[in-house]
Amino acid sequence: MYLPRITQIPLVLSLSKDCFVLRVQRRKIRTIVGLAAVLRNRQAQDERRRARTLQGLGWLLGLILALPIPAAAQSLDDDLAALDARITRLEDLNQIERVQRTYGYFVDKGQWTLLSELFTEDATLEIGGKGVFIGRHRVLEYMQTAFGADGPDFGVLVNHMQFQTIPDVAPDGRTGWLRGRAFVMAISGWGLPLYENEFEKGADGVWRISRLSGPFTMYTNWQGWGVNALNNTWPDKFEPAPDLPPTTVYLTYPAYWIAPFHYPNPVTGEVFTPGTQPAGAYHRPPGTAEQAEAAAQGQLVDGSQPIAGPGGD
Amino acid sequence: MIRVLALFALLFTPIPAAAQSASERVAAYRERVERLEDQVEIENLTATFGYYFDKGMWREAAALFARQGRFEYGQQGIYITPARIERAMLLFGPEGLAPGHLNNHMMLQPVVIVAPDGRTATGRWQGMVMLGQPGQNGVWGVGIYENTYVREGGLWKIASLHFYPAGFTDYDKGWMQSQIPMAGPSALFPPDLPPSEVYRALPGVYVPPFSYPHPVTGKSMADIPQPPDDVVGRE
Repeated sequence: MYLPRITQIPLVLSLSKDCFVLRVQRRKIRTIVGLAAVLRNRQAQDERRRARTLQGLGWLLGLILALPIPAAAQSLDDDLAALDARITRLEDLNQIERVQRTYGYFVDKGQWTLLSELFTEDATLEIGGKGVFIGRHRVLEYMQTAFGADGPDFGVLVNHMQFQTIPDVAPDGRTGWLRGRAFVMAISGWGLPLYENEFEKGADGVWRISRLSGPFTMYTNWQGWGVNALNNTWPDKFEPAPDLPPTTVYLTYPAYWIAPFHYPNPVTGEVFTPGTQPAGAYHRPPGTAEQAEAAAQGQLVDGSQPIAGPGGD
Repeated sequence: MIRVLALFALLFTPIPAAAQSASERVAAYRERVERLEDQVEIENLTATFGYYFDKGMWREAAALFARQGRFEYGQQGIYITPARIERAMLLFGPEGLAPGHLNNHMMLQPVVIVAPDGRTATGRWQGMVMLGQPGQNGVWGVGIYENTYVREGGLWKIASLHFYPAGFTDYDKGWMQSQIPMAGPSALFPPDLPPSEVYRALPGVYVPPFSYPHPVTGKSMADIPQPPDDVVGRE
């Protein structure tokens, strides 16, 4: 039931006589497999979807490796289907970027209702250390409670400029991901949120944000990060309260935390695995009691945290 | 190769009734690929404008506009045709960036939408500005570009470029303490038309109308309610 769809899309590409295409295709599969590995500890729904994907991919990978590549030309129908899939993938990547960039434009101008409409009904949102909000209506409530009614406020600048997007689409074309960053230039200072978001293509063919994960790298006032750095946020720092506690407790600059990548290294194909050594923030010199305490504060859900001091520490 | 030939054969030979559906598919796919290519060309065109503008390459920058192209920067009014746009850019400095000057207008976050017929397109961009001149402190700026594009003589050109500054501030003071107003229309070289929209930079706030519909609901975002502004007289 699932297999026909998946064979229809990447398999046709893989059966090409062109070795390069085949190699690329294999890497893409490694990519997706690795990607699934990275996101292992996500919600149950994602788990099921990914399990299906993996199952399909495993099957597909086996086929590609086992089957001799047919020398005979393929039928025109297969070629066209393959072409369609490749064009659709480019269009999907495009649309995912548009949704992410539009999210940025809405944040800039406080367009919270329009922003919430970018999300799926059951989407989750997690920004900084605030915890998880579940559902589109909670996304809206979060924004309007924390940042005020729709529309920009007089005298206020909160630009969240969107950079460096890396979109990806699953082979079935229904799920997508994007790693990106915002460069915040605000009246209160500078900020660096990161994004590892998930997108879903609905039955209506429209891409929506199904999970927004926005961990912070650094926030500072206008004086700059050489002088001042803000702590990460926490669940009761401001209203409203989240539905779930943070998925990860981590510290921001001058400490750092590496948000897992939804894709592996594009050259080696290796999945980046965060270290498991006890870590934490360097906000006091090593050997002091404050530093010893801070070393245990930032942790991944598995109890570990790869964190280190800023360069030169 | 065989497949390529097959496609070419499909495209350039009379279509037998049996192959009709395949050729229709190829035609449809070609359209979709062309729209993707259009988008790349338009993104490159706009980014190139940015590179030219940064360095005072007014002649090069103005050449990117269509015959009836429009250039509108903040509240300085609209200049029409490449020749007048080129001269208007002299209001930003001499041809070739003057010594000790910085005129960076970084362009990012594009949302480019090409019309289905591939003749026109729109683009929203985020603009980050860094300005400098001798004897003065550096200036930060931010704003939004809402541009339109047109295919003219087989090439994509800028039909209109409209930069809506959100604000400018002194490098050291920052937005809390320094909000530099926008320049108005020039008396030396008046624009062809007054500003198309009246608004001010910070502390005023303004939502440049979106050229594209909401990516999920499909509703127009051209008339998002504007916040009140007592100076502009907007309730």
